[in-house]
Amino acid sequence: MMQLPACVVHNLQDEYFSSERLFCFLIDENYALVQIWGDAQRWGLDDIPIGHDMRDAAVFLVGCVIGEPQALRFVRLSRHSVAHVHLIPDGRQSYVVLIDASDEHDPTQAKQQKTNELRLMHARQNRLIGRQRELISELIEIRSELDHHRQEAERSSANKSRFIAMMSHEFRTPLASIINYAQLAQEQDASRNDIQKSVETIERSARHLTSLVEALLDDASLSAGRLELVEEQFDCHNLFEDLARMMAPMAAEKGLSFATFVDSDVPKVIFADEVRFRQILINLLGNAVKFTQEGGVRLKVTYSSDRLVVTVSDTGPGISSEDQEKVFKAFERGSKRSETGAGLGLTITLRLVQLMGGEVSLDSQPDEGCTVSIYIPVNVQADPVAAEAPVLPVPDQDALASRPLSILICDDDDDMIALVEHYLHRSGYGLIATSDSSDAIAKTIKYDPDLVLMDCNVPGIGGVGAAKLLRQQGYEKPIVALTASRLNEEERRAFTRFFRKPAPMQELLVEIKRLTH
Amino acid sequence: MTLFTSKVCIVGDFAVGKTSIAERFVNNHFSESYLTTIGVKIDTKLIEVPDLGVSHKLVIWDIAGSDRFEHTEFAYLRGASGYIYVIDGTRTSTLRSAMSLEEQVTDRFGSAPSVVLLNKSDLAGDWDVNESSVKALHAHFGAVFKTSAKTGDAVERAFEKLARRILDNDMRAE
Repeated sequence: MMQLPACVVHNLQDEYFSSERLFCFLIDENYALVQIWGDAQRWGLDDIPIGHDMRDAAVFLVGCVIGEPQALRFVRLSRHSVAHVHLIPDGRQSYVVLIDASDEHDPTQAKQQKTNELRLMHARQNRLIGRQRELISELIEIRSELDHHRQEAERSSANKSRFIAMMSHEFRTPLASIINYAQLAQEQDASRNDIQKSVETIERSARHLTSLVEALLDDASLSAGRLELVEEQFDCHNLFEDLARMMAPMAAEKGLSFATFVDSDVPKVIFADEVRFRQILINLLGNAVKFTQEGGVRLKVTYSSDRLVVTVSDTGPGISSEDQEKVFKAFERGSKRSETGAGLGLTITLRLVQLMGGEVSLDSQPDEGCTVSIYIPVNVQADPVAAEAPVLPVPDQDALASRPLSILICDDDDDMIALVEHYLHRSGYGLIATSDSSDAIAKTIKYDPDLVLMDCNVPGIGGVGAAKLLRQQGYEKPIVALTASRLNEEERRAFTRFFRKPAPMQELLVEIKRLTH
Repeated sequence: MTLFTSKVCIVGDFAVGKTSIAERFVNNHFSESYLTTIGVKIDTKLIEVPDLGVSHKLVIWDIAGSDRFEHTEFAYLRGASGYIYVIDGTRTSTLRSAMSLEEQVTDRFGSAPSVVLLNKSDLAGDWDVNESSVKALHAHFGAVFKTSAKTGDAVERAFEKLARRILDNDMRAE
């Protein structure tokens, strides 16, 4: 180390001591004060007796090891005093030197403050940028979703506009026939042949209108999730035979073959919604016959893994893979398909199959026909006898002979009452008519008719309520619903039988006769 | 009552709220303005531990914020009986700093009683530290407090917990 003359050292020492306001004290190995040099008052260490434990007054000594050199920079000892603290060992004692650092502290703090504030700002900025990026990606995602929804909405709107235009045409055509042929039949010079032909055309047009309305209502109910299945036991072999009897003549009219194959493993009696099952198969078979011009249509039924597998194949024009996606969507048709019909048949079929817990598959190529298969889980009933119609008690023939059978009809449509009255009178029944359900209850109790024929949407408590009340009041004879309303399973249980308007009068009469004899 | 004196160091990254925590604990005061600490600020507070018959004097060293200790800071830590690691809950980077500082302390001085303060719990809307990180802190330190120097929430409990850990540690050592 450089050796300076003693007078230079003393001079510099004096200047340093006065400028840095040095303070020093000596402590022994027990932190006891031995001696003090400098301005003790400035550091709040005045009036401390020799021998006092300095850790009380100079708390920075707590934890310090006597005998080891230490340097602690910028130690804030009070609100206004900051010092660099040095512990300088000397044998078993230590000198504690405090160098005033107040003047040095403030600029250092100002500089560090600025640095830290900049770092904080940078951190906040980074965070905001990150959040901004997240928001931008969310916006892109939302925009993409909105675009998708907008396209869907535009597509749906276009489909509905096309559908309304098409429906207008579909409804107007049969309505025009009905109006024109009804006028023709009323003309004074109309021959019996003209009238017969007009009535046939009116009936055909009305049936077509009914099927259109049914399809629209089914689609609306399925879309809204309101359609409930009504499951019951039935003989599915009979159903397939019925369908073959219905479809074979339609196929023959177009010069097509029609073949049915029902595997012997297919259970006879199953537990399912017969009406909807029949509707699905009529849709599939009807489409196959409708769109096939040459060759034939084949219905094949097998049973595997508790599921009925029904396959309808045709030799029609086939469906391209692009159109296959469309044909199951509401109001859409394949590009090669005819323009008649609501375009709802396959949509309804798919939704009904799904409602039954089943699946639909479509296998087709253009010009190579089409095969649609449905897989429907069914509950098999072991006892086919249970599927038979309930056995009604045999009425007392003598008692029946003693008075004409009477039927109470409740309907708020006078034309309907007149029509039913016409058929029932012709069959020898007496008729009690009312348009109000509460009145129907009163008249049923008063006249005890042999059967009640009840509309559901009628004034008073309604047909379902009236039927339930009649049962509660002990009326045990058949109550038959004849209504345009859809009934759920629980509502249907209020009635002995259920007919949906427009029901064929002949079928209704046969059932009424069966129930009253 | 026996007087027991311990040196406690509050460490953590800059602007996590170390000085505010100390100020809240010692003087029950809080200031919204941010003032960087240079070096170290030393305060004391006496805690009574009646069940042990001890008056526990905590000498609290509020050390300037840093994400890594250098020679100067190690001199401040010498002779500490316990540590408070402070994390700013709205800045995940300060959690990494605390973990790194704890590793340095353990490497240099061995393990010592400690607690973790997830500070600024009053800024819940800006919270950045996720629950899985909090679970990891719990697993590592055993004592994690969601504190707010602003409201005072959980500050005293955290110091009391550390004081108790220091006493337990010293009693075990005896």
